[in-house]
Amino acid sequence: MSVPFLQVRRQLRAHWFRNLLTVGAVSLAVLLFAFLVSLIRTLDAQVEDSSGERVVVQSAVSLFVDLPLDYQTKIESVPGVMELTKWQWFGAYHKDPNSGFFPQFAVDPDRMLRMYEADIEIEEGPPGASGDLRAAVARAMAEEKRAALVGVKTMEKFGWKVGDTVQLICTIFPHPSGGAWDFNIVGSYSKKKDNVDDQTMFFRFDYLEDTFSGGDAAEAVGTGTYFVQTAPGASAAVIDGIDALFANGPQRTRTFTEAAFQQGFVSMLGNLPLFLGTIGGAVLFAVFFSVVNAMLIAGRQRIRETGILKALGFSDGSIGLSLLLESLLLTSVGGLLGVAVVLGASQALKQGLAGFFPNFEVGPGTLLQGFAIAVLMGLVAGIAPMLHLMRLRPTAALRNEG
Amino acid sequence: MSAFIELRQVRKQYSRAGETLVVLDGLDLAIPQADFLALMGPSGSGKTTILNVVGALDQPDAGSVHVDGTDLTQLPSKRLPTWRAENVGFIFQSFNLMPVLTAYENVLLPLSLTPLSGKERRKQAEFALEVVGLQDRMDHRPNQLSGGQEQRVAIARAIATDPAVIIADEPTGDLDRETATQVMDLLVRLNEEMGKTILMVTHDPVVAERCRRTLHLDKGVLVEATEGSGA
Ligand SMILES: Nc1ncnc2c1ncn2[C@@H]1O[C@H](COP(=O)(O)OP(=O)(O)OP(=O)(O)O)[C@@H](O)[C@H]1O
Ligand SMILES: [Mg+2]
Repeated sequence: MSVPFLQVRRQLRAHWFRNLLTVGAVSLAVLLFAFLVSLIRTLDAQVEDSSGERVVVQSAVSLFVDLPLDYQTKIESVPGVMELTKWQWFGAYHKDPNSGFFPQFAVDPDRMLRMYEADIEIEEGPPGASGDLRAAVARAMAEEKRAALVGVKTMEKFGWKVGDTVQLICTIFPHPSGGAWDFNIVGSYSKKKDNVDDQTMFFRFDYLEDTFSGGDAAEAVGTGTYFVQTAPGASAAVIDGIDALFANGPQRTRTFTEAAFQQGFVSMLGNLPLFLGTIGGAVLFAVFFSVVNAMLIAGRQRIRETGILKALGFSDGSIGLSLLLESLLLTSVGGLLGVAVVLGASQALKQGLAGFFPNFEVGPGTLLQGFAIAVLMGLVAGIAPMLHLMRLRPTAALRNEG
Repeated sequence: MSAFIELRQVRKQYSRAGETLVVLDGLDLAIPQADFLALMGPSGSGKTTILNVVGALDQPDAGSVHVDGTDLTQLPSKRLPTWRAENVGFIFQSFNLMPVLTAYENVLLPLSLTPLSGKERRKQAEFALEVVGLQDRMDHRPNQLSGGQEQRVAIARAIATDPAVIIADEPTGDLDRETATQVMDLLVRLNEEMGKTILMVTHDPVVAERCRRTLHLDKGVLVEATEGSGA
C-alpha cells in the first residue's frame, strides 16, 4: 500500500495553525490528566493507609482554630483512648519561603513515636546510638528541648545530617528574638505507609509553648489538633465520647477517623479533587471534541484531493490510512509534549505542593495512561473522516467544488 | 478480435429521487491504438460518463468495456485503482493539481505507485516536465503558475508513468485561445510522437479540428462521425 506521505506532510504544514491548536489542546489535556490523576492517587493512598484505630480531634469551627491544652487530660479519660499527642502545624521555612517550605508539627515526641510505630521507620538515631534507634530518638528528644526528628527527603533536600543545628523562620509563631528558631536534629525517619510522608519535621510541643509564651504573647498557645490512638474497634465510641465531652464548650470539638481527616484536610480546601475532577473531565471532553472537529474539517477540505488521488490510482485503504495517521500523529505529538511538560515540571510541582501533598508523585503509569488517552483521541477522531474519504466514489469526489 | 478500446452495449443510468435517468443506453464504441478521438455533444449528453467508464473511474450497469485486452467490467473493484495507475493518465478541465505540492512533486505523485526506484522516478518526473516545457518551473506551486502552465503540469503528471491511454475532459475549457492552442500542440505531439491513445471531450470545434476523429454524442447515442483534419 502506497501512502502519499509527501501530500500528508504538506497538508499538515499548510494547516499549521489549526494543527498547532490541536497539538496544544491535546498536550494540555494530557498535562491536566496527569496532574489530576496523580493528585487523586496521592490522596487515595493517604486515606487508604490511614489507621482505623487513630482519630483526630479538631475544633468544631475549623482547623484554624486551636484547642486548649487542658483538653489533653480530659480526652485521655474518655473510655477507649489508649494514647494521644498534640499535633500543631508550625508552617516554617528554611532560608527561602518558597523553596525552603516543608511541613513541621509540634508534638509530644514519646507519644507520637509509640503511636506511629507501624507507620514510620527510624533511619538514623542520635550520634553514637546503636540498637533500638526508636528508643534512642525518644530519649534524645526527652533530653534536648530543641530536638527534632526529620524525614529523609527533607534531610536530603537541604543536605542536613543528624547532629546538625538548623534554623527555621516561622511567621505563624515568630520567634520572640525576632530571628530564627533553632532545632537540633537527633534522628531521621522514612515512611512505611502512605498516610505519612518522608518530609515532615517533628519537634517538642513544649519548645514551642515555652519559647512563645515566655515572650509578650497575650494568649496561651493551643494545639490545632490532637491525634488519638484508640483501643481496637473502639474508634466510633471514642469519637462520640470526645465530642460529647466538649459538647457544652468551652470549645466544641469535631473528631474524625484519620482517614476521614485526610479527606477532610482536602475538603478544607473546598473539596479540591471533586472540583478539579469535574473541570478536568469537562476540559478533556472539550479537547476531545475539538480534535474530532479538526479531523472532520480536515476530511471535508480534502474531498477534491481525495478524488484526484483515487483517479491517479491510490487505493481507498491508503487514502484512509493517511488521514488516520495524520490524526494519530497530531494527538501523539500532543501527548508526548504533554508528557514532556509534566516531566519537566514535576520537580517544581512536587516542591510547590510539598507543604500540602508531600507524597505527590507523577508515576510512569499515569504518564503512560495520559499518552494512551492522546493516542486514543487521535484514533477515535480519525475514524469517521477516514471512512468517509475511503467510501467516496472518485467521480463524486472530483465533481466536488473546492 | 477487438479494438484497443472497445465499448459494447454499455448501459449507464442514474437514479435520483425515484426517477431513473438513462445516460448511456447500449452504446458501442471502438477506438484503435494511437487514435486521437474528440467527443463532442451537448451538456448532459453523457460525455464525461463515457470517459469515466473507459478510465475505470466508474463501472457501467451493463455491457463490457475492453481496454488493451482487459475487460474492466470483469475486474474486481479493488483492482481498479491499480489498473488506472498502470494504464490511464487523466487530464481535467480544472487541472486538479494538488495545491500543496510543487509542479515537480505533483508529477512525482503517480510515480510513487510504480515499482521504480527513487532515482528513476525523479528522472521520469523531470523528463515529463521537459516534454511539456516546464523544467524551469519545477519548484512552483500551482498558485504560482498560469492556467496554461497548470494544465501543462497536469499533462506531465498524466504521462509521467507512461500510460497507453490519455483521457482528457475539456482540457482547454478554462484556457484562452492561445494557451488552448499550446495545450493542443502538446497533445498532438503525445499522440503522434509517443503513440498515446487519446480520448478527449471538447465543446470547441477549433480544438476538435486538431484531432484525428470527432464523434458527436446526443442523448446517449453516437449520432454522427466525421473525419478530422489529422492536424
Ligand atoms: N452521480 C450522478 N448522479 C446522478 N446523475 C448524474 C450523475 N453523474 C452524471 N449524472 C447525469 O448524467 C448526465 C450525463 O452526465 P455527464 O457528466 O456525462 O454529461 P456531460 O456530457 O459530460 O456534460 P457536460 O458537457 O456538461 O460536462 C447528466 O444529466 C448528469 O446530470
Ligand atoms: Mg462533462
